[in-house]
Amino acid sequence: MPLQVIGCEVVPQLLARLMAEARVVAPHRRTGADQWAYAEVRDPCEVELEYISTVLPAKKYAFPPVEQLVRYELAERPLMEAVVESEPLVIFGAHPCDIHGLWALDQAFCDVNVDPNYTAHRSGMRIVGVDCVPDEHCFCGSMGTATPAEGFDLFLTVVEGGYLVEIGTEAGAAMLDGLPTQEASAAALAQAKERLARRIQQTTRVSAECHSLPLLLSGLADSEQWGEHATKCYSCGTCNLVCPTCFCFNVIDRMALTLDRGTKEREWDGCMLEEFSKVATGENFREEREDRLRHRFYRKYSYLFTKYGRPYCCGCGRCVRQCLVHIDPVEVLNDLIAEAEGRRS
Amino acid sequence: MAATCQCEANRQLYVPKLAVLEHITPQTPLETLLQFRFEDGQPLGHRAGQFVEVSLPGIGEAPISIASAPCEDPIFELCVRRVGNVTTALHNLQEGALVGIRGPYGNGFPDEALHGQDVLIVAGGIGLIPVRPLIHHIMCNRFDYGTFTLLYGMKRPEEMLFRDEVEQWQASDAVDLHLTIDRPHPDWSGHVGVITTLFPDLDPDPARTRAVVVGPPIMYRFVILECQNKALADENIILSLERNMKCGVGKCGHCQINNKYVCLDGPVFTYSELKHMWEAI
Ligand SMILES: Cc1cc2nc3c(=O)[nH]c(=O)nc-3n(C[C@H](O)[C@H](O)[C@H](O)COP(=O)(O)OP(=O)(O)OC[C@H]3O[C@@H](n4cnc5c(N)ncnc54)[C@H](O)[C@@H]3O)c2cc1C
Ligand code: SF4
Ligand code: SF4
Ligand code: SF4
Ligand code: FES
Repeated sequence: MPLQVIGCEVVPQLLARLMAEARVVAPHRRTGADQWAYAEVRDPCEVELEYISTVLPAKKYAFPPVEQLVRYELAERPLMEAVVESEPLVIFGAHPCDIHGLWALDQAFCDVNVDPNYTAHRSGMRIVGVDCVPDEHCFCGSMGTATPAEGFDLFLTVVEGGYLVEIGTEAGAAMLDGLPTQEASAAALAQAKERLARRIQQTTRVSAECHSLPLLLSGLADSEQWGEHATKCYSCGTCNLVCPTCFCFNVIDRMALTLDRGTKEREWDGCMLEEFSKVATGENFREEREDRLRHRFYRKYSYLFTKYGRPYCCGCGRCVRQCLVHIDPVEVLNDLIAEAEGRRS
Repeated sequence: MAATCQCEANRQLYVPKLAVLEHITPQTPLETLLQFRFEDGQPLGHRAGQFVEVSLPGIGEAPISIASAPCEDPIFELCVRRVGNVTTALHNLQEGALVGIRGPYGNGFPDEALHGQDVLIVAGGIGLIPVRPLIHHIMCNRFDYGTFTLLYGMKRPEEMLFRDEVEQWQASDAVDLHLTIDRPHPDWSGHVGVITTLFPDLDPDPARTRAVVVGPPIMYRFVILECQNKALADENIILSLERNMKCGVGKCGHCQINNKYVCLDGPVFTYSELKHMWEAI
């Protein structure tokens, strides 16, 4: 189907239709703050699609902050069963970076040992993406994540009077059935293209091509800059929690107060926390803050990037927006790139 | 589904299977040997060097090496040091108790690489636990291997694990056993000194010898040097690593060393795989 355009007034109609079939979540402005969060849509007319990336990414719906994995009842013979839950959910208004973040989690959770909980959440999920206006922390242009190649059912780009709509899946096409759409005019296509070009230009801020990063980093493990950037780090792990591509977790047992049943649960964890790689005998294999900062960067721009073929950072800037001491991946990368170039010459 | 992944979800990934604790054999004040069998009678189906996640509902899970040889399946053994929540609770169990088991996980020792070769096992402290299945396997299939040397070091004599077996090995011609303790002790008449002090007596054939080294992190650095001094190639030095593990199946990220997951790619690695990884040793 050729690209379509819908008027602004069609958005509430589309939302109302989706809400009749599933829970719909969209970005909401937090009262009294210039911060946004995904939350359930109650009124189709309240949804604003121009927003700065939400504090927590859409990953919280595919990989919730806390989630039950196993339920058990203690008895002479304990009963243990998997808890795998899924509900139809529409994420409305996901930015391209967030969509890429889900792609990253899809690879990690679905390679060997397919994760049942993640796939259950994902299989009930539909995504309507929307393009965005970058703030000073966005760098999707550098990560090649400014446009989602896949991973959406519909994708909306602002054009005069409405939105240009890309249809990603059959389910996406069905969402539009019966709604007033028009074939996109050449002018609308040109506007969308221009808007994207401007966004890519504004968000291309890393001074090397992203596919060169794994190789470039391979010679920089001993750089003093890890230590320099890490001196101000609090090891608070916030950057891990808010990151769309971070997926490490802890597993804990939680007993009910009655002590006759309980659950095995997982909760978000982060490699920036000091305890993360400590073993029971007290040995800590990433004891220093700089070891942990280096690990986080290598995981995003080298290890997982090399394993799955795309960067494990979508350039969303969430980590630096929330970091109390402003440790900025663009700044760290650019310092490292400068060092690599200095070493070569 | 918008996701690229459409695989059939593996519902049971995190669900343990029940096993019955059939027998308890205390080893030292800190370690005890627990013998299990799955309630449904199914074999564990492991290789020497693999581990399981042991689950005690309400308390937690811990990765523990499988201490028995594959040929003893459907009975399998775990030897547990009491250090924290799960391991203490395991020590407090009575025979007949039911525990949850997930696994076996990890790669195990590379039997193809050892077959037909001279084998030198270097075990420090509870490092003897993960190599015990390998020792049993070699002893049972003795003609499949060349010379077989076992170095076992501990801090104090009372820390010795599997004492009966160690005595049998001592009496046997099938293995050249060298024991040592770190410091002199009134109950000890054997060799004294850290495990590397046993190396001057060895004369391995570097072309045929495969070293298997398991012990505390500090031991690796020194034992690797000794192996290299004996002209062993890095790919013939085989190590088993311990890391923090929460899932055992390559998801939680805890066990990662550089670009490897110890629970999937390990815990057994050759030194040639590890030597360029700054987080490994
Ligand atoms: C591949 C692999 C194989 C392994 N094989 C074996 C094996 O064969 N045998 C074996 O014994 N271990 C083995 N381990 C180590 C084992 O996994 C850990 O000892 C175990 O996870 C500890 O779990 P825990 O719940 O008992 O300790 P935790 O409760 O997690 O304790 C962690 C730390 O907290 C402290 N702590 C926690 N609770 C208490 C408390 N109540 N009182 C005092 N201190 C406390 C402990 O001192 C300890 O240092 C292996 C590890 C790996 C990765
Ligand atoms: S959010 Fe900032 S201070 Fe906290 S761990 Fe991350 S980099 Fe360090
Ligand atoms: S590392 Fe920072 S910029 Fe990159 S995906 Fe994570 S939160 Fe976004
Ligand atoms: S990083 Fe790019 S895709 Fe994400 S919010 Fe910013 S401009 Fe949009
Ligand atoms: S233990 Fe979870 S990834 Fe290895």
